[in-house]
Amino acid sequence: MHVIPQLAVSTLLLGGIYALIAVGLTLIFGVMRVVNFAHGEFLMLAMYLAFWSFTLLGLDPYVTLVLSVPVIFVMGWSSYHIVMRPVINASHNVQVFTTVGLSIALQNVALVLWTADAQFVRTSYYSVVVRLGSAAFNLAQLVAFAVAVLATAALFAFLRWSYTGKLMRATAQDRQAASLMGIDTGRVYSLTWAVGVACVGVAGVLLAPVYPVYPTVGLQFVLIAYVSVVLGGLGDMAGALIASLIVATVEVVGSYVIGTAWKEILYLLLFIGILVVRPAGLFGQRGAEAIGT
Amino acid sequence: MRHAKWLAAVIGVVAVALGAGVLVQAQSGLSGEYKIGVLEPVTGNLAAEGKRHLEGMEIMRDLINERFGGVMGKKLTFAVGDAVDPTVAASEATRLATREGVKIITGTFSSTLCGAASEAAARQGVIYWETSCVDPRLTKRGLKNVYRTEIDGTGFGWYNIEFIAKHLAHRLGKKPNELKIAYLSEDSSYGQSVTETARQRAKQEFGMQETGVEYYTFTTNDLTSVILKLKGQQPDILHHIARNQDAILFWRQAREQNFEVKAVVHAGATGYGSPDFGKAFGNDANGPFALIEPGPGFVIEKLRPEGQRIERAYRDAVKAKTGNEIAGGHQLAGGGLWVLKLVLDAAKTDDPDKFRAAAMALDMPTGTGLNGWGVKFDEYGQNSNPRVQHYMLQWQNGQLVTVWPEEFTTLRAKWIPLGPWDQRK
Repeated sequence: MHVIPQLAVSTLLLGGIYALIAVGLTLIFGVMRVVNFAHGEFLMLAMYLAFWSFTLLGLDPYVTLVLSVPVIFVMGWSSYHIVMRPVINASHNVQVFTTVGLSIALQNVALVLWTADAQFVRTSYYSVVVRLGSAAFNLAQLVAFAVAVLATAALFAFLRWSYTGKLMRATAQDRQAASLMGIDTGRVYSLTWAVGVACVGVAGVLLAPVYPVYPTVGLQFVLIAYVSVVLGGLGDMAGALIASLIVATVEVVGSYVIGTAWKEILYLLLFIGILVVRPAGLFGQRGAEAIGT
Repeated sequence: MRHAKWLAAVIGVVAVALGAGVLVQAQSGLSGEYKIGVLEPVTGNLAAEGKRHLEGMEIMRDLINERFGGVMGKKLTFAVGDAVDPTVAASEATRLATREGVKIITGTFSSTLCGAASEAAARQGVIYWETSCVDPRLTKRGLKNVYRTEIDGTGFGWYNIEFIAKHLAHRLGKKPNELKIAYLSEDSSYGQSVTETARQRAKQEFGMQETGVEYYTFTTNDLTSVILKLKGQQPDILHHIARNQDAILFWRQAREQNFEVKAVVHAGATGYGSPDFGKAFGNDANGPFALIEPGPGFVIEKLRPEGQRIERAYRDAVKAKTGNEIAGGHQLAGGGLWVLKLVLDAAKTDDPDKFRAAAMALDMPTGTGLNGWGVKFDEYGQNSNPRVQHYMLQWQNGQLVTVWPEEFTTLRAKWIPLGPWDQRK
């Protein structure tokens, strides 16, 4: 019984990391109906941004976080205009191959520029452990979890109550109708892509003090983010957060009770099971993948 | 006219350069080139170690060409393939054999790659020369042109238990059969073969008590659950076989969870045996052991004269090229390539049958090769495990230093038992 608080805390913190990555992914899918296979590589680029800011300029990752959001936003905006805009009206297959190609290109650019060696952001507080009763956790992971919850809430509020958010939702519901109503859907798409990339950029900067930085680090996280996004319902912000916590629960508790070797099997079985019962995911709208196209 | 002058100048420069090249080659006594295929994962998840292995190969190649007469009197050159995963490893092995026309392929560092690469090489009828992967199945598939210079996974497991029983037990004031061991490992054939061999020997030969066994995928993002289980088991020793990022994750989370164990023992140039581990933690890395090739503290004079000669030359070359101390990846790759040179020089041909005869005839006692290795291949192409001398290194103040066998080193193992996390300084 004494391990339950620790298992609960570990689940929350791990789920927070997954959610932070998943919200950007689900935003892009929800509005644009594009599955971004390069999502993990934007995470990697942001981790390198935190690493180089720390190494060359001595900037703490949390300072970098504030400064990097506009940088990563511009990076996302540029990548949309250079890579995605030409294929935005093409078939899903073309879009999938484009984002997969972007992913491979970014990985290899990182490999050429920064080598395959793992890099580390060793801040003065990297080993600070917070103890709460019988549970212990890393301070940087706690911050990542808090930001995940805040980012999800902020995105939710932005989409719900801001004028730009309404434009995004309108475009998500029916691109042609939105266009007829005078909405510049091209602009909405580039904004959505840039905001989605900025979200995963925030995740990358926050993860840099916790995990090693190397060119393929994105792959380590992004598969689980895809599972969370589909499980929560494509395009559903709160669904992605809750699904991330569910996946983390299965991983942490399953590892403890049954065995670590089983954890991938367990969450993928759960994933398949839920999709059999609810093909649109836990909170998704049936046929969401076709809406707006 | 102006163009003609420029053209003449360029031709002149090229001719001088070519002439100089021929002169240098003639002076070094090498006539012609001999190309082999080198397969390493230089992109993807395994790239950090793969690049280190390739670097080790290149440094040894240059050393062989500059100071040891090339191979078969020719300048050794490489055609390099990127073995990012098993599928690509197989297709690159095929490309090296068919397009590059090589008769020998060496590589591939990882146990996840060597099986596929060697199968593809065998299909093309070329020799496959493994320098690093330890999957025991590599040399047990009836492929007669497959060779491995490194110890296999069973050898790693054997050595680790030897160290625990013969060194750690008495330092901990216990008999081997009083020791409680927990086994934790990543789940590839590398981790499984080392762990299962260690478990078997520990139980059958020394009667050590096993508190638990746990396997995981090395790309895992969280190991807290495992650590909680280990805390419940209270082992004396943790036998942990890891890749790079999982060793770092485990050590960080073990510290957070205040998991205390008397010793952590690993085998291989990854995980606790990789420079990345020290880079991640600095002095907080102090304590764990890794069974690899010898590092600082190693008494080179303990080797035979021919072993000393190549050991010194290679260490100096690595230091000159990288600016750093030699790493396990360099030693595995360099050691394997050095033995390949010796076999080729003896065979004087890459004809598979004559090459095999030369490989089987090679009989080098321990201490005569790089890393203090000896060579005696068995009928399956596996180098004799007892001749591939291995050493236990320990992280001490940001450096992996040689601590065992004690007759080979000036340094001694510290922090036995490990003690509290903040007192390992």
